[in-house]
Amino acid sequence: MNDKKLYSITALFNTPDEISKAAEVITNEGYQKYDVNTPYPVHGLSTKMKLKPSTLGYFALVLGLSGAAIALLFMYWSMSIDYPMIIGGKPFFALPAFIPVTFEVTVLMASVGTVLIMLFFFFKLPNNSHPLHDTDYMRKVSNDKFGVSIEAKDPKFDAEKVKQLFSDLGAEQIEEIYYDEDEINHKNKVFEPRFIAFLFVVAIIVAGGTYFMLNKLLFMSPFNFMMEQHRIDPQSKETLFADGFGMRPPVEGTVARGFMPYLYQEEPEKAEMLLSNPLFATEENLKLGQKKYNTFCSPCHGYFGKGDSRLNGQFPNPPSLHSEKIIQWQDGRIYHVINVGQNIMPSYSKQLTENEKWAIVLYIRALQRALNAKEEDLK
Amino acid sequence: MSIDYTREISVIEGSPSFSAVNELIARPLDEKPDKKFYFALAITLSMLGTGAICLGITFWFGTGVWGLNNPVGWAFDIVNFVFWVGIGHAGTLISAILFLFRQKWRTGIARFAEGMTIFAVMTAGLFPLIHTGRPWLDGYLLPYPNQHHLWVNFTSPLLWDVFAVSTYFTVSFVFWYIGLMPDFANLRDRAKTKIKKIIYSIFSLGWRHSHRHWHHYEMIYLILAGFATPLVLSVHTIVSFDFAVSILPGWHTTIFPPYFVAGAVFSGFAMVQNVLIFIRKIFNMEHIITMDTLEKMNKIMLLTGSMVGYAYGMEFFIAWYGGNPIEFFVFVNRAFGDYAWSYWVMVSCNLLFPQLFWFKKIRTNIKAMFVIGVLVNVGMWFERFVIIVTTLSRDFLPSSWGFFTPTIFDLGILIGSFGLFFTLLLLFTKTLPVVSIAEVKAVLDHAQPKHHHGE
Amino acid sequence: MSSEEIKINYTKKELPAGFSRLGFILLIVGVILVLLSFITDYNRTTQNSVIIFTFLTSISIGSLFLVALEYLAGAVWSVPFRRISEIISFIIFLLPLFALPSLLNFHGVFHWSHPEAVASDELLKAKAPYLNQTFFIIRNIAIFLIWWLFYTFLSGNSKKQDSSFDQTLTRKNIKISAVFMPFFGISLTIVAIDWLMSLEPHWFSTIFGVYYFSGTILSALACLTLMVLYLNEKGLLVSGLTKDHYYSLGALMFAFINFWAYIAFSQFMLIWYANLPEETFWFITRWQGGWSYLSYGLIFIHFVIPYAILLPQPAKMDPLRLKLASIIILIAHFYDLYWLSMPSFSKDEVLFSWYEIAFPILAIGLFITVFSIKSKKINLVPIGDPKMKRAMEFKL
Repeated sequence: MNDKKLYSITALFNTPDEISKAAEVITNEGYQKYDVNTPYPVHGLSTKMKLKPSTLGYFALVLGLSGAAIALLFMYWSMSIDYPMIIGGKPFFALPAFIPVTFEVTVLMASVGTVLIMLFFFFKLPNNSHPLHDTDYMRKVSNDKFGVSIEAKDPKFDAEKVKQLFSDLGAEQIEEIYYDEDEINHKNKVFEPRFIAFLFVVAIIVAGGTYFMLNKLLFMSPFNFMMEQHRIDPQSKETLFADGFGMRPPVEGTVARGFMPYLYQEEPEKAEMLLSNPLFATEENLKLGQKKYNTFCSPCHGYFGKGDSRLNGQFPNPPSLHSEKIIQWQDGRIYHVINVGQNIMPSYSKQLTENEKWAIVLYIRALQRALNAKEEDLK
Repeated sequence: MSIDYTREISVIEGSPSFSAVNELIARPLDEKPDKKFYFALAITLSMLGTGAICLGITFWFGTGVWGLNNPVGWAFDIVNFVFWVGIGHAGTLISAILFLFRQKWRTGIARFAEGMTIFAVMTAGLFPLIHTGRPWLDGYLLPYPNQHHLWVNFTSPLLWDVFAVSTYFTVSFVFWYIGLMPDFANLRDRAKTKIKKIIYSIFSLGWRHSHRHWHHYEMIYLILAGFATPLVLSVHTIVSFDFAVSILPGWHTTIFPPYFVAGAVFSGFAMVQNVLIFIRKIFNMEHIITMDTLEKMNKIMLLTGSMVGYAYGMEFFIAWYGGNPIEFFVFVNRAFGDYAWSYWVMVSCNLLFPQLFWFKKIRTNIKAMFVIGVLVNVGMWFERFVIIVTTLSRDFLPSSWGFFTPTIFDLGILIGSFGLFFTLLLLFTKTLPVVSIAEVKAVLDHAQPKHHHGE
Repeated sequence: MSSEEIKINYTKKELPAGFSRLGFILLIVGVILVLLSFITDYNRTTQNSVIIFTFLTSISIGSLFLVALEYLAGAVWSVPFRRISEIISFIIFLLPLFALPSLLNFHGVFHWSHPEAVASDELLKAKAPYLNQTFFIIRNIAIFLIWWLFYTFLSGNSKKQDSSFDQTLTRKNIKISAVFMPFFGISLTIVAIDWLMSLEPHWFSTIFGVYYFSGTILSALACLTLMVLYLNEKGLLVSGLTKDHYYSLGALMFAFINFWAYIAFSQFMLIWYANLPEETFWFITRWQGGWSYLSYGLIFIHFVIPYAILLPQPAKMDPLRLKLASIIILIAHFYDLYWLSMPSFSKDEVLFSWYEIAFPILAIGLFITVFSIKSKKINLVPIGDPKMKRAMEFKL
């Protein structure tokens, strides 16, 4: 007992009324460093002890508001700045749809944060060693007694006076509580080798576990069997089919979309008779025809179809497109020539699309009309 | 029989002494469990084992082993999820909302109900994770900066669920723990063995019953209750959004949020009532969990059951009133189509049988209330089944209608979820005080000073 | 139990003369304004009467609900205030007066009552079994008759107890309240659908009854709080009512502010998210032109402002802030009903002038007059209630 110091003098009472009275008297006597220990919260004690209202509400308010702000700002940033994506026709910043998450984060931050503040700030955790712990006094207030303890550090503390006060109040049991200087001032040093080693081990276990999970476990069977399904790769050998090819040729007679074969290869008369220009002489179609004509036809036929080649005799000049014969031709015949070629003119069926061919026919018609304008065209 | 309205009904009957209460609640933790306990544990563990085997097979072969098909892509998995989350709602309602309304009768049942909340939410949380089929990739549900530079879709109700359920679990757990702190200190001070003492000391976080601490403690309890109340509403509201934000007939209806919350409280109370009937018998707590408490719970079940009935009626009426033939067809189909039997199970169990609680004789008869409680839970499970499966199997396009039949794996996982829940519950009764020691002491008749003048 | 034991110290006093005089003046001004508006704009006045009718329904039947709730929940703190709710719910008897203008101009108020509109509209034709004038009038008359019946029984038993101190009356009232509750839920929903939702007959929302219910309870609570604070300040209630008694009023108002916001948000969010044209048009009307300012304003006046006022714990017991909050809530409920009904009559522009003020002035005047007349005859505190003694000792 010699190396121990007096921490406080305690007294036990039997009823809530007595402790209520005791708290009132002790407060009025002017003691400050004292505490009341009861197995459950006794109503009205806070008023008797003149405790200020708990300020935890303000912490909850601030934490809640910051939770709301963090959630909203984060959703705003991620959904409308970092990776904006239209989802369900909603605006990027779809406030009504953000409210549920905002609410949850608000509640989470406010409640968990306030509890942590209470535990670590108001209750001063992790200081778990208090002189009152493990005393007979504590065992009794834990069960059914109501205790009060006045600390020796109180400026008005005087052992005899305190004991007298307690017995005047009708205390059942008065006890002195001692504490070990060492025990109470023991500080856990952060740089203690054992602590650092402990942290090190924890770090290795966490990092190793994470690495194993992400890089090994997920690639073990059966966890990756969906990635390793049997499938047929293009251009590779495959025993499933008799011909040994993985890829299948199309069924005979299949026509690819947009590649209709030309039916009148050797029959210009038939083409002239059966084909007609699907395009109308709109400005748009004529422009297209002009462009394609100038690109593909004009080198030999000349810009106006007069057969004035720009090839300077390196290639025979074609006849003029303004001859009576060609003016008499139906559109289908000109189309046929573009498609198949004539004499030394090659086929242009690969260079031009269907529309472009017919647009060129339209343009040639326009050129012919321009050189042989009739009276009525001037009107 | 007449009640004297001039007197307050004692919450704890017979006004026992503080130490008697302490002894009664804390002693079971010192004793070795008896044969009955192991028998019960064997049953629940084999149920859990069944579920685990079915789950293992599901992971091996994929969710194709379930009865899901193309129109019915959600069935038992989501039904079970909604069912268990609903069970979890009673605990927070009892501990938070009834606390705010200063209903003292909650003290006898709050701890246990909160425990059931936590276990139910744990069970529920399992289902969204497993219904993805590859649960080891569920980390992508969280918004973290991943290698795809993609964020989760914050406008999706399924993501709201992730936030709602995890927040609900965390806050419920914190609330529960805060309530347990004084009890851990109590157990620490009466511990006989060294190991127990160390464990309880760690968990009690240095609690020493100081009034300077109680002062803040009461405040934090109020704050947590204040947050938990809207939270508990929000959780099942968000679960209902999973369905209601869609445009499927039978899912898109504005009454879903309050209707789901009422249904959740309804089924949760039924479950709590069922379990408490056993607990009060086994632990000799008939004077702490009184008949009056059970009667009040039955009244709340009557109230919430009628609210659910109101929602059934309202949905049906507006489906007709709204003038959308497809919407009305879905409701008629529920009542008279392929799944009519499940609809009528739901209506009779949820709406008709609880109406028996209008009679005081039935409200105070243990056997009758137990049977009705079981029926309510059956009915509430079928309610979710009706909502999810009938709508999915009959949506807009008749060419893609389908029919859902559960497989043995669906049933096995359902049994396993009950196994998990009751295993956790059984372990809880032997490791922690099933009733809050400090709170019960505070509501004893002689617990508070007689002539105090607050403020 | 002898009656002596539960007797409490209450002496009946007259209401201040200024109070009833104010009521009388407002009543006269209101009557003149209403008559004037009838003459100048008949249609608009009848449309306005829908707002004031639903508003007074809220306050009166909501107050009766609070009375029934107290009996069922066995609440103790609210016993000294119960008689005030009972007096407020007397307004149920005057409701037909306010329903009359819109019934006279049925076609001008309810679009679905035009036979030619129904003939050319498939939806209205489908709804005709419910939305037709005869059934409308029958069901509403039935509802009001039953409400009167419940009022007569509940408040009659309560008044009897003042002299007889009979505990069996409390028991009787508990039973009546239990029967009242399911009826209340259904009837309030019908009123909400008939008088507010059917103004836009194509629109529908399953939560609408709950939405109106939340506003109803909120405004009934606010009205009760306002009257309690006023009467207690003048010393007309029992002495010994403390902040502890006020706290629950404030807390309940706070809870229902949140509840309203929850219901309103659920309704809006689900319709906004699903984006179905058959539902969204209702909100689009309210989000266009001048109405959009009103819609944003509703969020503030019905939720943000009263929420901020009542959030701190001390505010829930502070008479000044409680008064402020309850006045705002009453205005907000009127605003809410205006927002629900007016855009159906005037889609393009916001209509607000003295026409809209006329009925509220009349209603306030009538409310005060009724209150002063009723309080002359009966005690303002249920002195015979067996829970009264406990209520006076109530501590948080």
